[in-house]
Amino acid sequence: MAKLLLIEDDAATAEEILADLQGRGHEVAWAATGPAGADAARSGIWNAILLDRMLPGLDGLTLLRDLRAAGDRTPALVLSALGDVDERIRGLRAGGDDYLGKPFVLAELAARIEALLRRPTDSRETVLRVGTLELDLIASTGRRGVRDLDLLPRELKLLEYLMRRPGQVVTRAMMFEEVWNYRFAPKSNLIDVHVGRLRRKLEAEGEPMLIQNVRGEGFTLTPDV
Amino acid sequence: MSRLVRSFAFRWALGIALWSTLLSLLLFAFVYWQTAAFMQDELAEVLRHEARYAAGDTAKAAARIETWVSEDLHSVHFAGLFGADGRKLAGNLDARPPELPLDGEVHRIGTQVAIAGRRLHEELWSAARSLEDGTVVVVAHDTDEIDRAKATVIRALGLALVPTLAFSILGGVLLAGRARRRLASTEAAVARVMRGDLRQRLPVGEAGDEFDRLARDVNVMLDEIERLMEEVRGVGDAVAHDLRTPLTRLRLRLERGRDQARDVEELRQAVDQGLIWIDQTLEMVTAVLRIGEIEHGRRCAAFGPVDLKLVVSEAAELFEPLADDKGIALGIGIEEGASAVRGDRSLIFEAVSNLLDNAIKFTPTGGRVGIGLAWRDGVAVVSVEDTGPGIAAGERDHVFKRFYRAERARQTEGNGLGLGLVAAIAKLHGFPLSVGDGPLGGCRFEMACPTVGPCPTIR
Repeated sequence: MAKLLLIEDDAATAEEILADLQGRGHEVAWAATGPAGADAARSGIWNAILLDRMLPGLDGLTLLRDLRAAGDRTPALVLSALGDVDERIRGLRAGGDDYLGKPFVLAELAARIEALLRRPTDSRETVLRVGTLELDLIASTGRRGVRDLDLLPRELKLLEYLMRRPGQVVTRAMMFEEVWNYRFAPKSNLIDVHVGRLRRKLEAEGEPMLIQNVRGEGFTLTPDV
Repeated sequence: MSRLVRSFAFRWALGIALWSTLLSLLLFAFVYWQTAAFMQDELAEVLRHEARYAAGDTAKAAARIETWVSEDLHSVHFAGLFGADGRKLAGNLDARPPELPLDGEVHRIGTQVAIAGRRLHEELWSAARSLEDGTVVVVAHDTDEIDRAKATVIRALGLALVPTLAFSILGGVLLAGRARRRLASTEAAVARVMRGDLRQRLPVGEAGDEFDRLARDVNVMLDEIERLMEEVRGVGDAVAHDLRTPLTRLRLRLERGRDQARDVEELRQAVDQGLIWIDQTLEMVTAVLRIGEIEHGRRCAAFGPVDLKLVVSEAAELFEPLADDKGIALGIGIEEGASAVRGDRSLIFEAVSNLLDNAIKFTPTGGRVGIGLAWRDGVAVVSVEDTGPGIAAGERDHVFKRFYRAERARQTEGNGLGLGLVAAIAKLHGFPLSVGDGPLGGCRFEMACPTVGPCPTIR
């Protein structure tokens, strides 16, 4: 279980986030101001830090920049009411590892924290294996058991993204950002259609499901053996 | 009257009148100077000649000056021959003017002369020379003639100056008056606009001159202001109206869930449905805010070179499964060419995505949607066309407005913000956006992307 630090000045928002993350089994501490958050962050015991962009006393990005300057590499997720792309770029430049605009869905936040905590498998690996599924990134071919998969380039990238995060819930927005590399909220069924296609190729008749739809959250690839 | 005096046109007219008067004065001065100089030179030449002639032969000197005097009909010729002792030998000058040098040159002197027996003081142009025997010959001419000529010229010029000045000023006043009358109606219209009546327009004349062009430009500006005002008003109303619908549903659903749910599952269903409606309202609020942000041009940090070819093909690829599921054929046509423009890659992709999404939404099953990138005069044109119902000509101006839903869209879900976002993105990039009839029968959206964008580099 991860130790998380939440730096957020709005008590009601903080309470909901705390309750949700604790419900998911995390240990979460809360700081309500910039200076208090900076003090807590300096202890260096956190697996991840969630911080609001605008905090009383000390701006969230300044806090983050100071932390990074001090050599602290704890994964940080910036929350902000400023969902704008420019703001996002500023957040990432200040040392944030991810950026989530308000209002957000709790499941999205949880999935992104999960992604920060579980860094993807070694990216130098060129052959990925999850259960009976095998993906050769050099040859751009995939197989399930003995069956060759006929994958389009984008499907290949999508599968790679999922296979690097087995058992982890990934949201539609995360997939769109990482696989398509564009940053805006696409219509929800657009990504579903792509996942659906990939799924039909992976799960031929009778084969057990590999990609699960996690209701209200996203998708997850689970090993079949 | 004071308004007239302060008016720009009047000041100009007055300035021009004064300037033309000044020029006339300069011209007159030149004419006067040239006339006087010419007459004087002529006379001086004659006098020098006569003096030399008379002094040329001592024996005939007396006869020659008598001839000079007698040739004269107007009593303007004077001459005298004086002995070495100063005694008068001949001519009509009583005495040799003492200050006159004997150099044969012409000098202006005042002296006593006898005309028809009367002694008078006269101003004379005179030349004097001494002869071999010491006698002195003086030849002179009255100055009156030249002075009179000069005075005449000056009087004539002065007389002409008065009407010149008068007519200049009169012309200026008339011009200024005309300009004032033309501006008066414009001022009245502007005053009404200032009082808040944005439907007022400035009168535009037939002449097509600067005034008319300015009035026309101001009218176009007023059109734009009126349109924006109406849009702002419309957006406020539309936001309130469009938010009320999902919020009403939400309220009803939650209320029913609370009162009638028999178990946790039913309550959860009510909450889930409620969340969907809340998400819808949030989506709308976010879209309105985004359009606002984009329209204010505050999104330039992500500007860089964008490969339109890639954007178009990726957008087509993203929507292909969706179109396929609906039984719509998605065609893509990309002309070869340099397709790099300056902009925000993600925003341009979003705009193209919205156009595609729209096209797929309104095209019935079995129809076709086409996305293309073409070149027209060095400008990359991204187009999206469909076999949907099209957009009525009268509605085309409105489809890019926020919350506008064309007749065809009434039955379809959506918040009327998609094309508004496209328009905002296109405007941020300076890409002209247009909609017309498509070759497939539906409508065709076009976004022209010049290779130079207006946005500065990353701040």
